[in-house]
Amino acid sequence: MYHKSDCEGFQCEQRMLEANLGQDDAGLGVVERLIGWLRQRSLFVLAYGTGCGAIEMRPLMTSRFDAERFGIIGAATPRQADVLVISGYLAVKTLKRVIRSYEQMQEPKYVIALGSCTINGGMYWDSYNTIKCLDHYIPVDMYINGCMPRPEALIEGFTALQERIRRGEPGGYQRYRDNIDWYKANQRRVFGDNMPPAYTYDWYSEGAT
Amino acid sequence: MNLILKLLFLAVSLTPALTLLTWGDGTLAWPLFGGFELLFELGPLSAFFLLLLALGTPLVALPMARGTPDRAAYGLFALLLLGMQMLLLAGDFLGLFIGWEVMTWSSYLLLIRSTRTTLEGAQTYILFNLASAFLLLAGMLVFYSLTGDFRIAPLTEASAAGRWAVFILLGLAFLIKVGALPLHRWIPLGYDQAPDLFSAVLAGLISKMGLYGLLLLPTLFPDALAGLSGRLLNGPAAGYGLAWIGAITAVVATFKAISQQDIKRLLAYSSIAQLGYVVTAIGVGSSLAVGGAIFQTLVHTLVKLLLFITFAGIVLQTGQRRFNDLGHLIDRMPMAFFAVLIGIIGLAGMPPLPGFAAKYLMFVGLIDARWLLLLAAMMLSSTAAFIYCYRLIYGPFLGHANSPEARTATEAPWSYLVPQVVLMGLLVLLGIFPGFAIEVIVDPVLMTLGLTPIGAPSWGELATPYGGYDGVVLMTVFGGAFVIVTALFWLARGQMRRAGSPYDLSFAGEVPTADTPLHYGAGMGRELRRIPLIGWILAHTTAGVQAGLTRQTLAAAGLLGGLYRRDPQTWTLLAVLVLVVASTLLALNGGWF
Amino acid sequence: MHVLLDSLAMIALCYVMGFLFQGFYRQFNARLQRRWGPSIWQNLYDNMKFLLKSETLIHGPMFFFGPMIIAAGAITTLLFVPFLKDSDWLQGVSTHGNLILIIYLLVVGPLGNALAVGSSGNPFGVMGVTRGLTRLMGLEVPFFLGLALVMLQHETTSVHAIMAAQDGIAHWNLITNPIAFAVILLPFIASQNASPFDVVGAPVEVYAGPRVEFGGRLLGVLMTQNMMMTIAKLVLVVDLFLGGASNVLELIAKAFALFLLTTAISAAFPRLKTEQTVDFFWKVPLGLAVLGVVLNVWLI
Repeated sequence: MYHKSDCEGFQCEQRMLEANLGQDDAGLGVVERLIGWLRQRSLFVLAYGTGCGAIEMRPLMTSRFDAERFGIIGAATPRQADVLVISGYLAVKTLKRVIRSYEQMQEPKYVIALGSCTINGGMYWDSYNTIKCLDHYIPVDMYINGCMPRPEALIEGFTALQERIRRGEPGGYQRYRDNIDWYKANQRRVFGDNMPPAYTYDWYSEGAT
Repeated sequence: MNLILKLLFLAVSLTPALTLLTWGDGTLAWPLFGGFELLFELGPLSAFFLLLLALGTPLVALPMARGTPDRAAYGLFALLLLGMQMLLLAGDFLGLFIGWEVMTWSSYLLLIRSTRTTLEGAQTYILFNLASAFLLLAGMLVFYSLTGDFRIAPLTEASAAGRWAVFILLGLAFLIKVGALPLHRWIPLGYDQAPDLFSAVLAGLISKMGLYGLLLLPTLFPDALAGLSGRLLNGPAAGYGLAWIGAITAVVATFKAISQQDIKRLLAYSSIAQLGYVVTAIGVGSSLAVGGAIFQTLVHTLVKLLLFITFAGIVLQTGQRRFNDLGHLIDRMPMAFFAVLIGIIGLAGMPPLPGFAAKYLMFVGLIDARWLLLLAAMMLSSTAAFIYCYRLIYGPFLGHANSPEARTATEAPWSYLVPQVVLMGLLVLLGIFPGFAIEVIVDPVLMTLGLTPIGAPSWGELATPYGGYDGVVLMTVFGGAFVIVTALFWLARGQMRRAGSPYDLSFAGEVPTADTPLHYGAGMGRELRRIPLIGWILAHTTAGVQAGLTRQTLAAAGLLGGLYRRDPQTWTLLAVLVLVVASTLLALNGGWF
Repeated sequence: MHVLLDSLAMIALCYVMGFLFQGFYRQFNARLQRRWGPSIWQNLYDNMKFLLKSETLIHGPMFFFGPMIIAAGAITTLLFVPFLKDSDWLQGVSTHGNLILIIYLLVVGPLGNALAVGSSGNPFGVMGVTRGLTRLMGLEVPFFLGLALVMLQHETTSVHAIMAAQDGIAHWNLITNPIAFAVILLPFIASQNASPFDVVGAPVEVYAGPRVEFGGRLLGVLMTQNMMMTIAKLVLVVDLFLGGASNVLELIAKAFALFLLTTAISAAFPRLKTEQTVDFFWKVPLGLAVLGVVLNVWLI
């Protein structure tokens, strides 16, 4: 596997991960496929620089890596963004802002999480103030491994996400909508009294019923 | 009793309309002492201003008649109407002067009935207006000494010096009333301190009497002021000075308006600026420009009545009058929102409302006269006006409510709403049919002033030798595009959701609360001061300039006083020197001997 | 019927040219920075993506109607600009309008949208609007004075008449009235919201400026009208200074040449602050315009 000529290192791992993602998009109509294809061609990124990963996000837009050729470009506000990139470990304080930004994004929206910190807290695993498993608070669509992942890995992750969008697979935002009570309960557990006001999320429940 | 009084008051307010409809062609002479007589007649120029009066007074009287009747105010208002009608109908300067004085005093007494009036405001108002009246008196006396008659008629045989004297005296008198710089100080104070509804009369109707006077000037000096001192480029040289006065007034007043914190003061400054355009256009004196001036007069009357009545309603409902203290009234007072929206579109001169037609005529008039630098000044003022127009709608209606009153306000009573609806309707109709206004309202006035009428091929079309536009097509295209775009948007798939709270903002991940200063009404226009020109203008006030002038005069007098020493030798020597210099000059000029 | 078809053709042409030109602009910038850059269709993808978003947040009725007003304003503007000369097609309703009307129509939409920004209640958006209005105040004076020189030269405000007077390259206003072109060039770039005068909507300044609260399909509408407006303005300048065009290919070629010029200027200069922009416009282009007025009016 690791000795193939057309891939190396994490590329091969990525390929293994993607290999068993649903292959057929036969269930989709022409319109849905066209929409999916258009959506994946243009991703506006809200880069949330929480940890050290922020330093790897910047070169992505520069001449060397040029993410714009994939249609990936930065957005200034969450209202205009499609992808939220969580770059590294999250303190409880930052998580509140991340959730707020995520809920302000317009669907369809996706979350990419960088590095091991977002999976298990990484080197901050025993800190009282660090979020260990990001997926319990907001739905993560794509993890990019590494500590921290290089810009090439980021691009690889983005293209994998684009592939999923193109195939019209259900994104994390649908999971969030369906399981809003579970997510909110998890959030409440860390925030306690410090929850954002109810108007920021109660429309989710209204939409479900 | 009260009801009868109110009905009587409303009936009085209809008198201008009645006069306009029933007067006909007749003249009315009323002999006074010694062969003088008061002459009243209704020409097209007076008829135009009487039309403004006839439109405006019932609309202001309706909200004024609300609540317990204020008998003194009703009486003074009736007197004011009498004065204004008298000065419009007057065929000679005597009647004009008497009407002018009646108007000045009754408006002054109405003004000081407000609880907000300060001594400074009242004094400034009456002093400036009396100065205007006395300049008018001086002008008409010079006129009488030149012609031996008070009748308003072309001044053709008089000497150049006499004609200049009449021009300058009358011009100054009317410019004070219009509020041209630097004679405008009474306007912001007066409009701000007057009772809220009376401000509408001040801005919408009384200021127009100054314009009536200025439009009389081309009657006195035929050939559109060019007879006075020849031509400059393609326009009258005498008007060039007048036009620059208007343009500078417009520019400075616009920047002053942007920096105001009080709604009524902002409206007062914008009124000065708008009338500055009219002064400029009268200075150009061609048929296009004067047509634009008349059109702008009409539009400005409608717009200022609309805005002042609407804001009077807001002040009535909330008790707040500063931009900082209002906000987010769009949901609570939607009618007022629409009224102000239409008002500012007219004020800014945006198509498709008639403000644009007026601006178009004035711009084309300036291009025709080849006075392009004036055109640049007008453009500067009318683009900068967008900023204060945006403030007018953002401060009270958009953003966030900033005071308890603004959070609980309700729509103004119906007597405020009826005038708003009528004025909005008139503005929109005039916008769709600019040709109608040209044909019916503007052209008769132009013909009295001895100018070629502009004419209109159809009611919807505004046509000039430089090209024109079609109001009906414009409105149809814009409306059609708006409906189609909105319909397409609705038909397309995807859900829309309304934010659950006004604080659901994209605020860098934070959750703003009621304590967060989110209303930008106060800060707007503050960064403009960093632009050198605007900063310089805003750093200087007319009061400051006038105080500086006083200081300079005193200093000059002190310098002069230094020459009068105590010892007689010095001033005897001075006297001899002056005598020698004067006689030498006279001898060189070939006089005396 | 003819007018309706014609209008649809104009809107479609504007849209297609709009995204291709802006795509080219992005690619041009990318190549200057030694990267590949996005595909030339990228703006179409972006726009379609936003128009196909499944969720849109609004802050009340005025917030919703703002983008509709700006789109209607853009369509109205482009219908009043004649695209071709000596042709029945691509005329819209331009015979019923004139140059001054078009200049004013250019700002109708943005002002309508400013209401929407205000009603969103986001102070950053209103800050952006104020900056936009301030810049407008700066750019409009030299822009209008430059166009007034052209109107004076031809003694008409009709775009048709000005276009018809420029038969042959020697009679282009670019050749006969170069000062006017030099005067309007920089304000024109500013009116296109292009660098170096793009402080209003620049992402890192005031949190995206007037667009801060717009997302989803409303943002898509804003992008659509922006692309159409870009082309309408380019065509207007082509009509006024480059002699107009008699067929679509010529129109595209001339508009592209002009676009290339403005793009090159945009790519070369760094961004100015708002007050620097206004001060610059009132010194350099306005000074040049006053010089032009003195030459054209006083000395002849």
